[in-house]
Amino acid sequence: MRQILRDIFLFFERDLRIASTYRSPFILEAAEALFGAAMFYYVARFVDSPALRDALPQGKTYFSYSLAGFVFFDYLNAALDTFDRSLQEARDAGTLEPLLVTQVSLPVILIGSAFYPFAATTLRIAVYLGWAAALFDFPLHAANWLSVFAVLLATLLAFSGLGVLSAAYLLLFKRGNPAKWFILGVSSVAGGMLFPVSILPPWLQIVANLNPVTYAMDAMRGALLNGDGILALGHPLVLLLAFAVVLLPSSVLIFSWSLRRTKVTGTLTHR
Amino acid sequence: MYGYFTGVCPELPGSSAGHSLQRGLFSAKRQAIKSGVPDPSIILDSLEKWFPPAPSGWRAYLQPFAPPTSPALRGISLEVKQGEAVALLGANGAGKTTLLRILATLLLPTRGTASLAGHDTVRESAAVRRQIGYHAGSDLGFYARLTGRQNLRFFGRLNHLSDEFAASRIEALGDRFGLSRVLDRQARALSSGTIQRLSLLRALLHQPKVLLLDEPTRSLDAIAAADFRHYLKTEVLARQDTSLLFASHTMQEIELLADRVAILDEGKLLAFDTPTVLRARTLSSSLEEAFRRLTGRRPYPSAESTPG
Repeated sequence: MRQILRDIFLFFERDLRIASTYRSPFILEAAEALFGAAMFYYVARFVDSPALRDALPQGKTYFSYSLAGFVFFDYLNAALDTFDRSLQEARDAGTLEPLLVTQVSLPVILIGSAFYPFAATTLRIAVYLGWAAALFDFPLHAANWLSVFAVLLATLLAFSGLGVLSAAYLLLFKRGNPAKWFILGVSSVAGGMLFPVSILPPWLQIVANLNPVTYAMDAMRGALLNGDGILALGHPLVLLLAFAVVLLPSSVLIFSWSLRRTKVTGTLTHR
Repeated sequence: MYGYFTGVCPELPGSSAGHSLQRGLFSAKRQAIKSGVPDPSIILDSLEKWFPPAPSGWRAYLQPFAPPTSPALRGISLEVKQGEAVALLGANGAGKTTLLRILATLLLPTRGTASLAGHDTVRESAAVRRQIGYHAGSDLGFYARLTGRQNLRFFGRLNHLSDEFAASRIEALGDRFGLSRVLDRQARALSSGTIQRLSLLRALLHQPKVLLLDEPTRSLDAIAAADFRHYLKTEVLARQDTSLLFASHTMQEIELLADRVAILDEGKLLAFDTPTVLRARTLSSSLEEAFRRLTGRRPYPSAESTPG
């Protein structure tokens, strides 16, 4: 176990070193976060009304509701995107084969490669929320941080399985990320990112209720904006963890099969 | 030295007679191993590799699991002993790289078996990876934004070297190969020859029992290539009892390093013996001439000494 953690840390250290060679992007991202938070604030000021506040299931203003939805979507994006992007970068840089002949197992390579992107996403979200709280009265003081952490972890575990499936697809078909396209595409409409699902037509509400993103989004808003405790968020957390228990092992198995298939066809490094 | 020879005629190895002869000699060698000769580092038994066609566009979706139809290796059986250096010699497409990639666990054989240090490359791939140092012959394979030292340390530690040992090995090998001045430059700023030397250094870093090198000196200048061969001969093969299987098109390199030479042509093993025996049996004055006679290939107009 210690060796595995050490190996995962090596990947984190590698990515941190690479990121540190680029100096301006962090400053640019911080500026982008400022403008992003400002944009949500002024859109909310434009559309906010007592009727809208009554219609929102959580959150006291449309600003906090929509910004919480947006930053959570960033996390979801990271979970769905990180694995196949890491794989694609390794393939393009020619480091995939040297990695695969080391003594580190494939799941550790996958987890290790995902560690830094998740940490970077967390930092980016923290900057977003920091700007929003400092300049636009985002109610960070109301958050239950333990619950926020629990929801983020459950979300990462639940949706990383789909990210690993995307990486398997990339191994076999070389381009494309269908899980990201499908989940983010459906969830941007029927996931409750910028508006409550109650305003959707009935058939789309059924889709939203079948979509685990809806529950994860509700749980995140509950923890971040209402300060809900872990017990209060039991239902969505259990649902997300059940999703993870089914999806993670099966996605790793499918990825292993895909890798095996590329070793049969000799297309491991093909683009 | 128990070399064997599958015939001076290119037609023979592909025939059933040639194949039976290979198998018979292979069994005899196994008996010899059982009776006290050191265990071989690499054993290939009737190894075959066939690739499926590579469909593109919509055909890739309609036929994702097309059956393999293109042969790359056809019934290869050979052994590499502990501490022995064996060269793979063949024209482009002969199957040298495919063979090395199967041993490096990057490809799965279609039929037959390959084992390395007693471990099957398919069923015990993790154990195989613990024994090998692999150089793919490419000018890629490093993180462009990391320095040479950071790259080597990363891969060394993924092979479970301690930080201190990895650092001292990088320092020592960097000194030995004259790379000390470039180790702290980002990989993107290094020439392809230097990247290739770093890749060789990476393969040697964890002192593997078996070295698999695909065209190890391809991008190196003449001095660096000679220096690397000298290092392999005097430091790795002589002192560390490491086995070496390498693919090369450079006759001088093969003559200097190889105890035995496996000549491949279109996926078949035509001959496997010492350079001296290969020359004698083909009545050739040089290994290059022996290669030509065995494969029936004409001399290359622009590179007399580099077949393929």
